Amino acid sequence: MQSLTRQTFIAGLTLAGLAFPAAGFAQGAAKVGAPAPAFQAVDVEGKTRNLSEFAGKTVILEWTNHDCPYVRKHYNSATMQNLQKDMAKEGVVWLSVISSPQGEQGHVDAAKAKELTVQRNAAPAGILLDPNSKMARAYGAQTTPHMYIIDPRGTLAYMGAIDDKPTSAASSLEGAKSYVRQAVAELKAGKPVSEASTKAYGCVVKYAPLS
Amino acid sequence: MRRFFGKRFLRGAVLVLGLFAPGLALAAESAAVSSPRVTATLVSSRDAVAPGERFKVALVQKLAPHWHTYWLNPGDSGEPTQIKWDLPAGAAAGDIQWPAPKAIRVEPLVNFGFEGTILLPLEITVPADARPGENFALKAEATWLVCEKICIPEEGSFTLDLPVAAASAVDEVAEARIDAAIATLPKPAAFRGRLRDDAGKLVLDLPGLPAGAADLRFFPLSDTLIEHAADQPFAAGDNPALTLTRSSAFKLAKPEVSGVLTFTEAGAPRAVTLLADADPALIAAGGAAAPEARPAVVRIPMPSEGADLTLWAALAFAFAGGLILNLMPCVLPVLFIKALGFAQLAHRSRSEVREQGLLFLGGVLVTFMVLAGAVIALGALGSSVGWGFQLQSPPLVIALAVVMVLIGLNLLGAFEIGASVAGLGDGLASRGGRLGAFMTGVLAVVVATPCTAPFMGAAMGYAVTQAPVVALSVFMALALGFALPVVALSFAPGLLRLLPKPGRWMLVLKQTFAFPMFATAIWLIWVASVQSGPQGVLAALVAVLAAGFAVWLVGVTRGSPGRRVFGSALASLVVLGAGWFTVQNAVPGAATEARAGDIEAWSPERVAALQAQGKPVFVNFTAAWCITCIANERVALSRQEVKDAFAKLGVVYLKADWTNRDSRIASALAEQGRAGVPLYLFYPARKEAQAEILPQLLTVDGLIAAAERAAGRNAKTAALP
Repeated sequence: MQSLTRQTFIAGLTLAGLAFPAAGFAQGAAKVGAPAPAFQAVDVEGKTRNLSEFAGKTVILEWTNHDCPYVRKHYNSATMQNLQKDMAKEGVVWLSVISSPQGEQGHVDAAKAKELTVQRNAAPAGILLDPNSKMARAYGAQTTPHMYIIDPRGTLAYMGAIDDKPTSAASSLEGAKSYVRQAVAELKAGKPVSEASTKAYGCVVKYAPLS
Repeated sequence: MRRFFGKRFLRGAVLVLGLFAPGLALAAESAAVSSPRVTATLVSSRDAVAPGERFKVALVQKLAPHWHTYWLNPGDSGEPTQIKWDLPAGAAAGDIQWPAPKAIRVEPLVNFGFEGTILLPLEITVPADARPGENFALKAEATWLVCEKICIPEEGSFTLDLPVAAASAVDEVAEARIDAAIATLPKPAAFRGRLRDDAGKLVLDLPGLPAGAADLRFFPLSDTLIEHAADQPFAAGDNPALTLTRSSAFKLAKPEVSGVLTFTEAGAPRAVTLLADADPALIAAGGAAAPEARPAVVRIPMPSEGADLTLWAALAFAFAGGLILNLMPCVLPVLFIKALGFAQLAHRSRSEVREQGLLFLGGVLVTFMVLAGAVIALGALGSSVGWGFQLQSPPLVIALAVVMVLIGLNLLGAFEIGASVAGLGDGLASRGGRLGAFMTGVLAVVVATPCTAPFMGAAMGYAVTQAPVVALSVFMALALGFALPVVALSFAPGLLRLLPKPGRWMLVLKQTFAFPMFATAIWLIWVASVQSGPQGVLAALVAVLAAGFAVWLVGVTRGSPGRRVFGSALASLVVLGAGWFTVQNAVPGAATEARAGDIEAWSPERVAALQAQGKPVFVNFTAAWCITCIANERVALSRQEVKDAFAKLGVVYLKADWTNRDSRIASALAEQGRAGVPLYLFYPARKEAQAEILPQLLTVDGLIAAAERAAGRNAKTAALP
């Protein structure tokens, strides 16, 4: 009897132990070559979106703030919209992320975000609202724009600037090299991303204070 | 303006204008470009210039309170002020001489820049053939980004018409202002720094730093060197050094970094420009693109053990590996329990013993399938895990330690479980007995994972590169091999009958088995300490205490139903609290450092760089929770004969520590067709030569022979140009 009830007791403990490990797998900030941080954010349609639902697809995250001069450089010239449309043709999922918290410059509600998309003729597959900056913290987003590319296996393949001209002057778009186009083309060709981590430039991402 | 002339005094830009702007714009100051945020002018130290002379000018920015412009390296965001000159033919403008920046926090990020009023001085050279009487027109187009929380790009055109004269006319007020600004510029440091890698961190050694320097901060000129917002812990003493965090976009083109070091000395702020020699190894690490985003699993032909296994070979390897796994120390405590159960049943029904054996088998099979499923599923999601991955979770390691302690206490008789001590084996047919047997199988597999047996590595490496069905069959073969000895014992009544009848000896034996349990718990807590540092040990011991208290509480409140409910509720609270505490505190992160001495941390770039230098490289892929790895380190790697041979042959020993999750290590294992540690690689001393994979159980002689092979090829090629 004793030994058997002892085994039952061990059984319970083992089960309890096996239920524990989830916490150990929390990843820190994003690192190229490592699994991209999981996220859960509500999009402008009110749907909760997870990274896992895009498994098997290349995903682009674009941190944005519509009033930032650097973001405006890319939207006023339609450079960003063209990039979004070209990526959609490639079957890439483009998600714009807005991390400004309530009361900070750049904070928008779902309606305003949708209106901006229509106004600017933008073509993201989705717009994620991150007013508590959870997603920004998970990815370590610093600037708007700040670009991240996640490959179909969920590995972070690129993080950094949108192109190699770190200025808000519209003239700089002439002859700029798009790191995003380059990385997506290399991923498509099955080649390693030659410039996988660059210094992002732009306005600072406004973070919600850690509660 | 002096840097301590803070915002307090700048209650309004108007006041400042009143202080500095002469009543009428003299020739020495351009018309102002103003916005609500910035008032900018161009100031010249000369009212008239002489041919061939060099004189100072400055762009002055008076910023509204809380607004800032940026230093040459703006930090996490922003853009430095830029000036484009349009000068008379033959004239030249020097570069801006930047004041020392301030770290401006925009939580959780940081910018490097300036607040208040700043002067950006530079020198203009007048051509020698300028003729007195001509006009020397200074024209500048400046752009700057000014930010509070929002950022506004601004620009301004500045013009100063200075007459050329035989002798220059100094504007004392303007010159004094510019000179005062130049006096506060950072001066070259009297010493050179050294930048080196230390287990993934960057360490900036500052030999020659004045004693008593405090509040240090290093501002690198390059924006792809460090994480700007990270703390810079300072180690004072004989070898003063700052610890910096490597930028995620780390790039280093030449073996020298430059920047500004600010600190306080006897309370006074100081700033110096610093040059530091960077360890060339950092260039290799930065010069290559960031680690390639490799697929989680790469199939390449394996040069040695298990070279491109066939399915049947993999199954055979797995079965053999599972068998041998029973001889590894990890599983012994659990096998003790199983043997004890058999001993108690030995003189009872044979069918019951068989049933127990088969249930144990079931537990082993199911657990292997769950583990294999997790490995395959996570692999499909692009996250690379391998054998033993659950031990990379500190809370699970701690939970296992608690299980071990409680089993030990129970074996010692510290507490009883179940109603009361009834006769032995009464509940044999009860569900509890069956579940227990099954669970022993589960537990056996979970604790077995720190050990790797020979043959297993190749088999599992093969498994994770195959389709899920094939992978599962390989794991199944492993499980069958692992469960075979216990199942065979349960089917061999002859063996069991050799045991004496149950009696006092059984009690003594039972108590004896408690000690391997405690030993296992000690080992697991040590693993947690490697994973999460002192907090991990604290969490583990709190968890053990709480578990012990909870089982005692349930025991003493068993008397009446009322007390029982109270006791169980309180015990549950204690267990939940301790669980929460464990999860909060036992977080991976205390990066285990390659031990001092001549062992360096592994990186693919380091291997390539060393090979290019013509050095043989030994790489030890290991983890604190991997018993086999530690055994190999004890019996072979740390032996003096091996160390001497390595030293003689110039072998560089790199350690890749997989105690906590690390996808670079995981993908390197996958490249060698492995799903776990240990893995030992010997890279020959030739550029890009393939590594030799050593067996998973090392011997001194084998290691030395491998070292000679790796270096020997070197001896032949060394003669070549």
